[in-house]
Amino acid sequence: MLIQALQKVYGKMSYVILTVVVSLAVFTIFVWLPNIRLIVDVFTSTDVSFVSKVKLPVSLLGSITTNFTFLSATYTLLIAILFGIYISITTYFLKHRIKEVGQSGVGVGFLGFMSGILGVGCAACGSFILTSVILFGGAGVLTFLPLGGSEFGIVGVMLIAIAIYMTAKKIKDPLVCKI
Amino acid sequence: MEEHTHKNHKNNLAIPIAIVIAGVMIGGAVIFSNKNTNNNLALTPEKAVVENKGDLDQMMPITKEDHIRGDPNAPVKIVEYSDTECPFCKRFHNIMKQVMEEYGKDGKVAWVYRHFPLDQLHPIKARNEATAFECANEQGGNDKFWQYADRLYEVTPSNNGLDSAELPKIAQYVGLNVSKFNTCLSSGKYDQHIQDDLDNAMATGGQGTPWSIIVGPNGKKYPLSGAQPVSVINQLIDLALQEK
Repeated sequence: MLIQALQKVYGKMSYVILTVVVSLAVFTIFVWLPNIRLIVDVFTSTDVSFVSKVKLPVSLLGSITTNFTFLSATYTLLIAILFGIYISITTYFLKHRIKEVGQSGVGVGFLGFMSGILGVGCAACGSFILTSVILFGGAGVLTFLPLGGSEFGIVGVMLIAIAIYMTAKKIKDPLVCKI
Repeated sequence: MEEHTHKNHKNNLAIPIAIVIAGVMIGGAVIFSNKNTNNNLALTPEKAVVENKGDLDQMMPITKEDHIRGDPNAPVKIVEYSDTECPFCKRFHNIMKQVMEEYGKDGKVAWVYRHFPLDQLHPIKARNEATAFECANEQGGNDKFWQYADRLYEVTPSNNGLDSAELPKIAQYVGLNVSKFNTCLSSGKYDQHIQDDLDNAMATGGQGTPWSIIVGPNGKKYPLSGAQPVSVINQLIDLALQEK
């Protein structure tokens, strides 16, 4: 059922491109997140050459190998890829069945994305995202999570996967009242 | 028709159920953490607001009291705030050693080490190990400080996994007087110094470890969060060196 729905969506090249673009964007945002301040500083500096302004953010993507555990790197990649797929099939769905927007799993998918962001934040020692969101006690939260915050990333992957499944099901199911 | 309605009803339930599960997870964790903030380095709401703003100019000036690897007069200085039990700090320690091999020899870069023990993640041990660094420094100066740091980062499994019994063994390994070292370790005389480093890390915007500030020859500062690859550090050094 899922495969059939994906074949239907990815029969059009525009959805393949959309998936790649969204996945790359999400991956980039997740990896850059801890150093957004640095990127802004470098981009706004008049003393930095254009080449350096491009090179530094690209080099920062390499932190997926140094600033992530194997587990967090895995779910970061999974969230990026799944979210790309999710956006594509949701777009396809909305284009074809605009009336069922409320049932397409939009909420679940975005909840998964948000949970994924928390998981990425927790990948580094200190949970900067949790600290920022909850303001205080953020790092303390991690003490009580057996995987040190990776739970949010795993839940994120699961929620987006559920959202994809729900949306794919809608694409596959014809809009008829069954007897 | 009925079956179709039933299916839609199930799908409609999935969203609130997912939200409730996530809410319970986050809410439960917050409640549990707040119950135990007294045992930890509790961040008060007022403090947290200051931390989130983070001002690099609040970085304590680099003095001869600092632990500096390389030429103290180097044009570029990398001030690292580190937690000995953080796995990313362990990685970053090796990355910084590579950076120093390339830039330190020519006197272009100096590496300044400051303490940022995250009590909530690595209770007792991270702070105790920071004290051990200071005790090594007390006995053997800068050289022993760095020898001790190199060895500790080499042997620790991270995530609060280093047995405290290893600390005197490391002291012996680097050639310190173990008896004096143990006395120093239990004295608590460096508690305030370590706390000052930690407070300064947070005042400058550090929200996790490793937290680094690259300082150029003209005083311009670049914030760097996490264990970034050698290529990123090298580029920041080159940028700092180009600053007018």
